[in-house]
Amino acid sequence: MLDLRTYKAAMDKCCDCGFCQATCPVFLEDLLETHVARARMALIRACLLEGTHPVTERLREVVGRCLLCTSCVQTCPARLPVDEIVVAARHQLQQQNSRGRLRRRMTRKFMKERGFRGLVGKAGRLARSMGLGPEELPPPARKRFEELRRGVISPKGEIRARVAYYVGCATNTFYPETALDVVRVLAHNGIEVLLPEGLVCCGMPALGEGDLETAQELVRTNIRVLSRQDVDAIVTDCTSCGLVLKTKTVKVLPEDDELREQATLLSPKIHEITDYLSQIGLTEEPSSVPGKLTYHMPCHRSWTPTMDDAPRNILRSIPKTEFVEMEYPERCCGGGGTFFMDYKELSEGIRSHKIEDIDHTGARTVVTQCPSCRSYMSPMLKEREVMHPVSFLARAYGFRPDA
Amino acid sequence: MKGLATDLARLVSGVRVRADTEDLFSYSSDATRYFVSHMPDAVVLPDTTEQVSKVVRYAFDHDIPLTPRGAGSGLSAGCTPIRGGIVLDMKRMRRIVDINRGNMTATVEAGVVLSAFHRAVEKQRLFYPPDPQSMDVCTIGGNVATQAGGPHGVKYGTTKNYVLGLEVVLPDGEVINTGGVCVKQSTGYDLTHLLTGSEGTLGVITRANLRLLPLPPSHRTVVVICKTVDQAAEMVSEIIAAGTVPARLEYLPQGAIALMNQFISPPLTMDGQACLLMDIDGSKTQIEEDSSEIRALSNSMGAMDVRVIEDEKEAETYWKARRNLHSSILAVFRRAIVEDVTVPRNRIPEFVRAVQDISASLGTFIGMGGHAGDGNVHPNIILDEITEETEKKAQVAVERIIRAGLELGGTISGEHGIGLHKARFLAWELGEAQIELLKRVKAAFDPKGIMNPGKIWEHGG
Repeated sequence: MLDLRTYKAAMDKCCDCGFCQATCPVFLEDLLETHVARARMALIRACLLEGTHPVTERLREVVGRCLLCTSCVQTCPARLPVDEIVVAARHQLQQQNSRGRLRRRMTRKFMKERGFRGLVGKAGRLARSMGLGPEELPPPARKRFEELRRGVISPKGEIRARVAYYVGCATNTFYPETALDVVRVLAHNGIEVLLPEGLVCCGMPALGEGDLETAQELVRTNIRVLSRQDVDAIVTDCTSCGLVLKTKTVKVLPEDDELREQATLLSPKIHEITDYLSQIGLTEEPSSVPGKLTYHMPCHRSWTPTMDDAPRNILRSIPKTEFVEMEYPERCCGGGGTFFMDYKELSEGIRSHKIEDIDHTGARTVVTQCPSCRSYMSPMLKEREVMHPVSFLARAYGFRPDA
Repeated sequence: MKGLATDLARLVSGVRVRADTEDLFSYSSDATRYFVSHMPDAVVLPDTTEQVSKVVRYAFDHDIPLTPRGAGSGLSAGCTPIRGGIVLDMKRMRRIVDINRGNMTATVEAGVVLSAFHRAVEKQRLFYPPDPQSMDVCTIGGNVATQAGGPHGVKYGTTKNYVLGLEVVLPDGEVINTGGVCVKQSTGYDLTHLLTGSEGTLGVITRANLRLLPLPPSHRTVVVICKTVDQAAEMVSEIIAAGTVPARLEYLPQGAIALMNQFISPPLTMDGQACLLMDIDGSKTQIEEDSSEIRALSNSMGAMDVRVIEDEKEAETYWKARRNLHSSILAVFRRAIVEDVTVPRNRIPEFVRAVQDISASLGTFIGMGGHAGDGNVHPNIILDEITEETEKKAQVAVERIIRAGLELGGTISGEHGIGLHKARFLAWELGEAQIELLKRVKAAFDPKGIMNPGKIWEHGG
């Protein structure tokens, strides 16, 4: 992912069929072909690889206006790694955010510290309580998950398996109760949970900026820490973290990097939590939870073949669940991590269709694994609750949220 | 063109006009960029017929070439703006205006995506058969302009059989409504069907009235594994002749299946050289009867196996794989020239043999696969290396394939249209007299020659 030139062969495989238009959330909103994978890749090639067209503001705009949702990758008959090509292009362009140095610094700090700590956290809470900042950014929790739990959480009875839990930064900072649910549900079902020390952000926000240097730093730290864990699996609650840990770490590291081998060995161990639970099976029987619910599929899905159905399997194992499928569960919510902060109108447009779809289901509860989707959809889902599927399962086990 | 974007912005609105190099680049070809591309001078994205009319009128007044565009997924450079000018991107006009169950018709704007239309009518248990492989992106306007086909052609015909009327903006900006919504209409010259397949050279289609059928209650996917390519080809015409016409009847050689297995789940293992992939539709009883007949027929002809794909999800992976086939081929081979020569169905075995001979004599790999049921088996001239020699051979192959198809009573294009790629062959099929007549018709519609110039016949426009 470091060098755009390594993607020349991939770009050669694009036959211009235009099928990416079928699912690109940005294209479906803008309806401008310049903003879909086919043209974006052709422009990246012409301007950044072949140099037949100059680099202009418009090109930067085109390269920036991509959610990195990977819908095009999933739809493309040749499965071209469009997201990686866009990241490599952003790297080559040394895209400076229009957002400014302060935000860049804050983002780096967030990634290295797994969220907002100390004064920054307090400031964030204060700002949100005063109604400052976007509604879609929740206030940082008083205590992050890392401050609430450490070490090893063991099940009461027999240990079926040992896992390391990689908590996503957003979950760590904004939704620690989700992380508590992950740990409790695992322990309840006979699985010992290790909370490794020294983990950092998976690097997704850095990749989004084309900041491959920071991404490498983060990946190296995480690979070192996770490789030391003597566990059967590494589970994560956040589908974007999982995408990076499972499929991108090797590509972020340089070819000759000694950690590449470790990264390759770790990859098969990475699981999204509901996928892991679905595979290993629940030993404890959950009770029914009333109320209609529906499942929003995060865009960063399908990095394991079984994970698409996993949340549905888990929900179906809860007796009498009133599960309603929305018409387009896989359609993007528009959040895109931090994308919505720079493309407000576009994201809101994309979101509106998802909200309409949810409204039609009449569901009281929306489950999704992605904390970014959760925070971006929540302001438009008043009188509904949005949670991780594992939290719904926790509720079915009668676990009360921590004070 | 100086001031073009400014003038156009006054006609529609600033945000609906694009003239940055990057945007022009994005609109400079269809799905055949490797073959030809040419930048337009401006791109307009209209929301209404009125806006289209204003832009066309402007182009007419200023002698500016104008090229309508749907998804840009075409395979014959039909919407490649080879003389520059204005590209009219119709995709914003995507309203399904009406679905009328009582009359079994629908009215849609030109930019409606085909599969979105399918979904909408199927919700009402209605059926719009045309199913080109690009259905998830292609538009009704593009379908009408290119007379699009697809696997359902074998039983249900193609787009031309379903167009009842069109709203068109003529090259001088005048808006007319041809045909109507009646399934029967006899009012002189059938302009609706003249415009159908006119590939953007006679006007801009802004709306279409389409005929619908009742949705068949069930369907079933069946795969017949054949020992040889010849056996599969013979079986196609026998199945048609027997009268049990499946809704889809695709001929797929081993090589195609190997590529398709990336998407078929679980992958299809077969020992034969080719297979027939079909979809049988109708009532449950009809499907049972048709399935039995096809099974009996296939076995009597020595098929290796006849498999029914029971699981709906599994069956859908076959059809998805089929839709992805063209792009899958191009992901592996440096270049593949897909031909659209179509022959009468009972002559498929001869056509298949003829193409095999051409392939052998030139030493050029030519794959075949596609809508055998309607005679449209898409020879694919595949080049692994691109050199002057291989390209020359490919051109010779194209010419020989076309001659072979025409000799068997076929046509040079079943569904992709002529566009630019096949313009030089049109005379072989139509003859000079007919082409001269077409030029006179074109001149009658478009005296200034602004509509998609350079297409359909040589030195066209």
